[in-house]
Amino acid sequence: MSEFDVCVIGSGAGGGAVAWRLAMAGKRVLVLEKGPWFREADFFKDELACCRRGAYTPDLREQQHVIEEADDEEANDTGWRGTPTRESGWDFWNGNVVGGSSNFMSGFFHRMKPVDFRLRSEFGPIHGANVVDWPIAYDDLEPYYAEVERVVGISGRVVAHPFLEPRSTPDFPYPPTLEHPVSAWIDAACARLGYRALPLPRAILSQPRGTRRACEYSGYCGSYGCASGAKGSARAALLDEAVATGRCEVRPRSQVFRLVSDARGQVVAAEYFDRDDRRRRARARAFVVACQAIESARLLLSSPGPRHPRGLGNRYGQVGRNLIFSAGGVSHGRLEFDALDPERAAQARVVGPFLNRTLHDWYVIDDPELGRVKGGVLDFLMGHPNVISRALAERRDDDGQLVWGRAFKRRLENAIRGGRRIDCEAFADWLPTDDCFVRLDGEVKDKWGRPVARVRVGAHPHDLKVGRYLAERGARVLEALGARDVVIGVSDSPPQNLVAGGCRFGRDPRRSVLDPDCRVHGADNLFVADGGFMPTGGSVPPTWTIYANALRVGDRIAAQL
Amino acid sequence: MNNGDLATRHRLLATRRAFLIAGAGGLAALFVLPAASAIPRVANPWPVLAAVQEHLFPAEPGAPGAREIRALAYLQGVLSDPAGDREEQDFILKGVDWLEGLCRQRHRASFVDLDPLRREGVLREVAGTEKGENWLATLLLYLCEALLCDPVYGGNPDGVGWAWLRHQPGYPRPTPDKRHGALK
Repeated sequence: MSEFDVCVIGSGAGGGAVAWRLAMAGKRVLVLEKGPWFREADFFKDELACCRRGAYTPDLREQQHVIEEADDEEANDTGWRGTPTRESGWDFWNGNVVGGSSNFMSGFFHRMKPVDFRLRSEFGPIHGANVVDWPIAYDDLEPYYAEVERVVGISGRVVAHPFLEPRSTPDFPYPPTLEHPVSAWIDAACARLGYRALPLPRAILSQPRGTRRACEYSGYCGSYGCASGAKGSARAALLDEAVATGRCEVRPRSQVFRLVSDARGQVVAAEYFDRDDRRRRARARAFVVACQAIESARLLLSSPGPRHPRGLGNRYGQVGRNLIFSAGGVSHGRLEFDALDPERAAQARVVGPFLNRTLHDWYVIDDPELGRVKGGVLDFLMGHPNVISRALAERRDDDGQLVWGRAFKRRLENAIRGGRRIDCEAFADWLPTDDCFVRLDGEVKDKWGRPVARVRVGAHPHDLKVGRYLAERGARVLEALGARDVVIGVSDSPPQNLVAGGCRFGRDPRRSVLDPDCRVHGADNLFVADGGFMPTGGSVPPTWTIYANALRVGDRIAAQL
Repeated sequence: MNNGDLATRHRLLATRRAFLIAGAGGLAALFVLPAASAIPRVANPWPVLAAVQEHLFPAEPGAPGAREIRALAYLQGVLSDPAGDREEQDFILKGVDWLEGLCRQRHRASFVDLDPLRREGVLREVAGTEKGENWLATLLLYLCEALLCDPVYGGNPDGVGWAWLRHQPGYPRPTPDKRHGALK
């Protein structure tokens, strides 16, 4: 008899939520996490650690990915060029510690809306895209979205608007976090433009909850671990509580490399390397894979068995397919202190509180040129405060020439002392296509000799059109509130921190990896609980949906055991 | 995390590494000299690096220079970091050899002994080559880190760089026992 009912691989938003649910339901849970276990006392506003030396991600010399990008000049005629991330420096790790990348998110939390669950039915097919409806509806997830608000802790304020998703509760359990003075500028600008600025919900506590303190408004949030516990990471919000039940054990520095399955196709053990690189085995009655989309697909593909010769759940070659990211674009402008009257300049300088404004006016776009298409959201934020990266951007002039000496110092003074950036990020659907997927690389291996994930990151041209449409409206707001040098950036380069798909759920095993309960087809005791299940990603950051779905999956597992 | 910041970051990193890799493969072509084999190793690179740093980031009244931000000691720490990027460490030191070779060819003197005008001329010539430009960009990178990192890492003493640029650091700040490299 196994010591554990459930073994969860990965401890981020998906794995952490499943582990919490099952431990609270009385199950014995083992969580295997490849990274170390940092606590609040280990997190500092240390730009060098977080953002320049990658303290929370593996050394690319030891563990990396190979990224395939479109390249018309590629000699082998495939049209795709693969580059190991060790060479490119384009790091696809997003936070490999207990709690995963949820430790380092900004916590911009949006529910998906009912329309997102039936994109194919609502908008019809798009040539070259594998758009499908979800096998569940918004109503199936709503109770879990509401539970995440309470348990993870989401602060905000509900304002009625045409795209407001149906809610089972009237408002958020926590009031909004403190607002930046410039939020009022956004409100005024949007009022003039006829846009509707809404409060942006955040997975950040505005009031204490249990052992977690409320936000301390350091001004450094995204990319940084939270020292107060206010940020709703899977670690702070869920795993600490799960461990406190005495029924959940978290083993950090445990890299699972293979799942072992038996003649019936059931998973019987997870094999992993421990902190001393020794091979270990963990047994349980059920297994949950939640390593973030790319690594989850890699683990299934790396785990062939008697009933799964091409990898777990890969009978129809679906594992790794239809990987998605968040599409969209960025607009940004600059608040020049000298160009503002003294009162507004003082407001613009404030560090700490959040802008917390979002626009949903174009969640569905109805435009003479684009037609009726799925749109997205705009979120406003102050430019990231990381000062070393801001200084580095001044090393080159507008022509790309290196600048040094006194000229360089004047540039630093102007850029950092003279103003600050204000950003508007547009989030749109990244359409699933046959050009975005995960497979095992044929040559590059990790430090344990296991093939790394090879990721093709092709984007659909439709994504750029929608991204530009949204970003242009964000730019109008920035100009209207007085920002200067407003520019729009729309790219088909994927944001590696906003990743999902690759193990899409559905009813047809020939076209999906998971059933509607996120159980792997053909392996009844194996579930995937990160963002991998998503057949389409919605036009919002996916974290709230990953949390909600993982609680739902936890209920299904508890019922099955 | 937000999209924009990350996208910018990965592009900066990608550019830097691509140049480093290129540099590792064809060292002879670096800067403007004919052959790497003809370039002698500089026995003591530190005075040269200090002089280059002071030229790239000069002291001014009311604004710190390379010396005030302890840029040389900071760079020495980067170069001796066992967890650091060995290719980059070698690249920075080889660049000193190449720079000195160029100075001797052009002026029959070490960079250290050139006047500011000649220093500027040599560095402009260096910046005119792809790899030379990358070498200078790398030195500027570590100057920026020394200027604006937390003082616990050895640069930016007493927050002199933050004070100059009126930058407000975030709290809590890293402690010596839990700075990067010490935290396990």
